Amino acid sequence: MRKSHPVRRVVLATAATVSGVVLLLSLKPASDPAAASAAGAAPQQTAAGQESPQGGARGAAPAGSGTVTGDAAQTQYGAVQVRLTVSGGKITKAEAVQAPKGGLSDQKTQLAVPKLNQEAVAAGTADIDSVSGATYTSEGYKKSLQSALDRMKPASSGTPGGGGAAQARTVTGKTVQTQYGPVQVRITVSSGKITAAEAVQAPKGGLSDQKTQLAVPKLNQEAVAAGTADIDAVSGATYTSTGYRQSLQSALDQAGG
Amino acid sequence: MTTTLAGGRAARRQTMRRIRPRRSPAVPLLLAVWAGAAAVLWLWWHNTPAVADLTGQVLGAGRITGLLAGYLMALVVLQMARVPALERRVGSDRVARWHAMSGRYTLSLVVAHVFLIMWGYALQAGKSLGDIVQQTVDSVEQLPDMGKAALGTGLFVVIGLTSIGPVRRRLPYDAWYHVHLLTYAAVFLTFWHQITTGNDFAVEPAAKTFWYGLYGAVTALVLWYRILTPIRLNLRHRMRVEAVIEETPGIVSVLIGGRRLHRMGAEAGQFFRWRFLAPGMRFSSHPYSLSAAPRPDMLRITVKAIGDHSARLRELAPGTKVWAEGPYGALTAQRRSRGKVLLVAGGVGITPMRALFETLPGAAGDITLLYRANTTQDLALWDELAAIAEERGARLMYAVNSPEGERPDISAENLQRKIPDIETHDVFMCGPPGFAQSVFEALREAGVPARRIHHESFEM
Repeated sequence: MRKSHPVRRVVLATAATVSGVVLLLSLKPASDPAAASAAGAAPQQTAAGQESPQGGARGAAPAGSGTVTGDAAQTQYGAVQVRLTVSGGKITKAEAVQAPKGGLSDQKTQLAVPKLNQEAVAAGTADIDSVSGATYTSEGYKKSLQSALDRMKPASSGTPGGGGAAQARTVTGKTVQTQYGPVQVRITVSSGKITAAEAVQAPKGGLSDQKTQLAVPKLNQEAVAAGTADIDAVSGATYTSTGYRQSLQSALDQAGG
Repeated sequence: MTTTLAGGRAARRQTMRRIRPRRSPAVPLLLAVWAGAAAVLWLWWHNTPAVADLTGQVLGAGRITGLLAGYLMALVVLQMARVPALERRVGSDRVARWHAMSGRYTLSLVVAHVFLIMWGYALQAGKSLGDIVQQTVDSVEQLPDMGKAALGTGLFVVIGLTSIGPVRRRLPYDAWYHVHLLTYAAVFLTFWHQITTGNDFAVEPAAKTFWYGLYGAVTALVLWYRILTPIRLNLRHRMRVEAVIEETPGIVSVLIGGRRLHRMGAEAGQFFRWRFLAPGMRFSSHPYSLSAAPRPDMLRITVKAIGDHSARLRELAPGTKVWAEGPYGALTAQRRSRGKVLLVAGGVGITPMRALFETLPGAAGDITLLYRANTTQDLALWDELAAIAEERGARLMYAVNSPEGERPDISAENLQRKIPDIETHDVFMCGPPGFAQSVFEALREAGVPARRIHHESFEM
C-alpha cells in the first residue's frame, strides 16, 4: 500500500535497463580472441604483454596470419598504440589503434599515422623516419611498433621478410557478423594465387546448418576460381554469401595486394 | 485462581494454534524471476565473443532486449494463468499489478528490440539508420518466421494501446478483455522467430531446449488452470442463481445454489470470477467476493451497481446457470499473525469483510469491524453484521458522513482512542483505493506495522 510513483518507476526501469545493456556491451572486448585462435594464427595477441603460447614452435610451418598489438606508448598528447597484421612472418598491415585526439592533435594524427603505417609495412622494423611536425606521435608510434615487433619475433623466427614469401601461406580474413552468425574465411595463397579457400566460421544451428552446408562449398570453389572477392552469392544463403565475400576480401587485402 | 489462569492461557493457546500465518511466496518467486533473467543475459554473454563497432553494439543491444522480452513474455502470460500459488498465496491483486507492470515493460523491450535489430542489420548491410524501414521490410520478407513475428508484434502494439489508462477507461470492459486475449495469439506468433533466427538459440542447443521448456511449461499451466480446472469445477458443482436480493439502494446480493459447494475449497475473504449465462452477460466474467462463508448448498455475493454488468445483476432470473472460476484471493484468515483483528471496510468492500467477520476464529472482543459508508442507509448488510457481533461478542463500528456531508475523520488519534491496543492488531482492509490509502497511512501512524496490514486493491 506504499504510495506508487508511476513516473519514478518508469524512469528507474528505463535507466536501469539502458545502463545494464550499455554496461554489458562495454564489458565485451572489441575483438574476438576465440575466433583468432580458432583460425590457427600464431602471433595473434589482443591483450598487450602476452607471449603467444605456441609461438616458439612455428619455425618452418607455413606461417599463419594474425595481428599483434604493441604496448600503448604514452606521449605528451596522448597514447599511441600500434597493431600489426602479420602474414608469413611479414608485416602486411600496420595501423594505430590509439593515437592522440582533439584539437590540433586530430590534424597531426591524420597527417602522420598513415605515413607511419606505410613506413612500418615497408621497413618491417621500427627503424622508420619520424614525420616532421608530429615528432611526439612518431616517437610513440615507434615505441609501440617496436614492442609489437618484439612480440612477433618468437613466431617469425628470424628476419621478417625472409624466405617464406614464395611458400604457400594461409591468410585468415576478419570475422564478419551476419544475421545468422559470424562468417570467417581462410585462404591459402601460393605465389599470388588462391589455392584453397575454407570457412573457419559459418552460421550454425537450425536452418543455418543446411544453408551453410549448401553454400560454403560452392563459395569456396568460386573463391579459388575467381581469385577475387567478386564471386556470385549462393541463392537462398544471401547473408552467408555476403559475409563470406567481406571476409574473403579482408583476407585478400592481408595477403598483400 | 491458578486454574482460571491456566484455563485462560489454554484458551488463548487454542485460539493461537489456529493462527499460522502463511508467508506469501512473493520473495522467492521474484528471486527466481531475477535468476532467470540473469541466465538469459549470461546466454548472450556466453555466445558473444566480441562487440567491435557500432554495428556490434546496436546488434548486441537488440539481442539483449530481444532475449529479455522473450523471457518476460512467458512470465507475463504465466502471471495470468490463474496458478493457485499466485492467486491464493501472493494474491490476485498483486499478481495483476505485476502483470500490468511487466506487460508494459516487456512491450517496451519488444519495441526497442525491433528498432535496434533492424538498425543493426541496416548497418551491417552498409546502410544507415534512415534505411531502417526498408531493412525491416526486407527482413520480414526474407527471414524465416519473421512474417509471423511482425504480425504478432502488431498485435502486441494494439493490445498495449488498448491498455493505456485513458483508452482503457473509454473502452467497454468486454472489448478490452477480448482484445487482451489476443495476447495468446501474439505470443504464439512471435515465438517461432526467436528459435529460427535467434543467434543464441542457433548456436546453443541447450538454450533452445530451455526456451521450449519455459514456453511449454507456461502453456501447460494456462491449459490446466484456465481451461481444464474451471471445466471440472463447473461440471462438478453445477451452480445456478437462486435469488437476487436488494440490500440497499444500488447494492444487491445474489444467492447461488449448487452441489457440494463446500468442496470448492473457498474461504471467507476470497472471490470467484463469475459468468452468468444470461443474454448479454455470458461473454464476460467479473470478480465478486463472497459476502458470507460458503455453505454446502449456497454461496452469496454482494455487488454494488457501478458498471453495466453489475447493474444488470438485479435482473437475473432465478435458475440462470452460473459459470464460476476460483476461488481466488489471498485476503483470508491465513494472513493473520495475531489474536486480535481489525477489519476495515469501505462501502461495498464490506463483502469479504462480512465473511471474515463471521468466520475468523477469536474470543469475545478479539474481532473489531469498522465500516465506512456515505450514509447509514448505505450500510449494506448491517442487520446481519449486528447479529454476528452480538453472537460472537465482537465489536462493530461504523463511520458515515455527517448530515452536512462532512467526511468522518479516520485519523491515527481517533483509531487509537477507539481501539487503544490497535498496534497489536492484524488489520484486514477492503475498500476504494483512496480510502484504503488514507486508512493505511492512519494505521501506520497509529503504530501498526505494514506487514500486518492486509488489503486487496484491484487498482492498477
